Amino acid sequence: MAKKLKQVFGGASDIRGVDLVEIERLLAFMQKHGLEEFEYEAAGVRIKLKKGSAAPAGVIRAVPAEAAVSGVGHVHAATHAPIESAVAPAQPIESTPASDLHLIKSPIVGTFYGAPSPGADPFVSRGTRVDPGQVLCIIEAMKLMNEIECDVAGEIAEIYVENGSPVEYGQPLFGLRPLGRK
Amino acid sequence: MFRKILVANRGEIALRVLSACRELGVRTVAVYSEADRHALHVRFADEAICIGPPRSSESYLNIPQVISAAEVANVDAIHPGYGFLSENANFAEVCEASHITFIGPSPAMIRVMGEKDRARAEMGAAGLPIIPGSDGVVADEDVAKKVASEVGFPLMIKAAEGGGGRGMRMVRSKRELIPAFLTARAEAEQAFGSPNVYMEKLIERPRHIEFQVLGDKFGNVIHLGERECSLQRRHQKVLEESPSVGIDPETRKTIGNRVVEALRKIGYSNAGTVEFLRDDSGKLYFIEMNARVQVEHPITEMVTQVDIVKAQIRIAAGEHLEDAVGPFQHRGHAIECRINAEDPDTFVPSPGRITAFRVPGGPGVRVDTAAYADAVIPPYYDSLIAKLVAHGRDRAEAIARMHGALEGFIVEGIRTTIPLHKRILDDADFLAGKFDTHFLERLAPVEVK
Repeated sequence: MAKKLKQVFGGASDIRGVDLVEIERLLAFMQKHGLEEFEYEAAGVRIKLKKGSAAPAGVIRAVPAEAAVSGVGHVHAATHAPIESAVAPAQPIESTPASDLHLIKSPIVGTFYGAPSPGADPFVSRGTRVDPGQVLCIIEAMKLMNEIECDVAGEIAEIYVENGSPVEYGQPLFGLRPLGRK
Repeated sequence: MFRKILVANRGEIALRVLSACRELGVRTVAVYSEADRHALHVRFADEAICIGPPRSSESYLNIPQVISAAEVANVDAIHPGYGFLSENANFAEVCEASHITFIGPSPAMIRVMGEKDRARAEMGAAGLPIIPGSDGVVADEDVAKKVASEVGFPLMIKAAEGGGGRGMRMVRSKRELIPAFLTARAEAEQAFGSPNVYMEKLIERPRHIEFQVLGDKFGNVIHLGERECSLQRRHQKVLEESPSVGIDPETRKTIGNRVVEALRKIGYSNAGTVEFLRDDSGKLYFIEMNARVQVEHPITEMVTQVDIVKAQIRIAAGEHLEDAVGPFQHRGHAIECRINAEDPDTFVPSPGRITAFRVPGGPGVRVDTAAYADAVIPPYYDSLIAKLVAHGRDRAEAIARMHGALEGFIVEGIRTTIPLHKRILDDADFLAGKFDTHFLERLAPVEVK
């Protein structure tokens, strides 16, 4: 099983309607009571948390009730104490993007940046229409900024990595819905 | 001591480095190609980063990817293992420029030892015996005669600008010298565009003897004794042992001291192996130096109890030699059999899925391997799947233990060279310590059923 780097969560405290402070509380709750799995649904959001082999790590599926879309966003769980302190390095989650999306994978090892410079608007967001050759992001490697280009025409359905996080070769960065597909 | 080390390698040597790091309390980062996703070094490291597709040139040999991984994982040092980037002076320089310690000799040393002619010139100047020969290109027939009278027969005439047997002639007597010299020059001109040739003594039944050395960053150097590596096939070592039955204590002491002196003079640091050819009369001639840890380092470790890889890391971290190496003595005899995923008779590579894997154990047996049951041996890398090492109080006991270990080593699903090693260990000449680098060619081929 490939281990990825521990990804430290930074930035926005909620993503697509999911309150991450609440998630952290749930994870702590699980740890406290020795739970392996936890699932709940409320206000159009279903949350399922499952313990990994080495540490409580959450796969957070936020599925808004009204969406009929198959793509789901995956986020690496925040590794904050007290959850982290109890165990060895967290077993990170394998990103399993939906199979009907066209994936843009990283061709190099480096640090992912979604915008051309700090504070600038991101190159693309969910829903952005993109063309072949269009720059989607920058991956910094050995002090060089490498522009990663799109290879098909389509629409950005998912962004799998956080700004400023490390990426490895082959790691999915974007999920695209190619033109002509629903 | 370093906080975190990246291992820029794969297979058994990556596991070996991971062990050393673990013992030193250092966190580890593995890098891997897509073909090694399920490899043990990925599993056992604290962190792992995929750096490319299966081909070595796009992954393990890809300097930007390796350095990028090192930066992204924020490591203090990189251990290059053997092969791959371990003797790439550019890589060592890029590490330095990136403020990452390269665990090995300096880039300058790697460069010197990488150019064989230069290495011989430097080591010759530093006092090591080198193979007698011409001083560079042999200008004309008169020079050829002069060199021949100094070097003696048999000798080799070799093209200066190329190899592969073209422009090469063996000369057994004075009578043959000038005709051979002229023909070699003509052939060299045809093949490489230059008639330049050089001459050197031919050692007909050489034994390959190498000395393990370690040096710190303060100018101290020691040697850990020699290894006998004469059993080779196409210049690939198959079986190694330490000490060599062809080296008496006097020679060991003399050459050992000269090696240490030479390396002190040139300022060598970290691990290395100084290789010699030994002729029938027992004389040793320096041929080259490998500026890295070697595949067969375990036999020296078994005999001396020194952990060479830990010593490398400690030296790189700035420790003095005696602390990095610790006290040691030479005890007993060790043998290593390189188990390859190859047909034992035809040597055709045999990649594929291992269906059963049982390693032997018991007193004096060590197995360095990254293979396991259900593992798939990829076709992209070398075929070494395990190093089987046996140590005993003397050569006889080491051989007896190796016999048992080979019997007890079960690998199914792929072919291995285990049967070849069993045949070597049964060979009367091997048992008598009578061999040279042509031994394996002479080993009677098995009847193909």
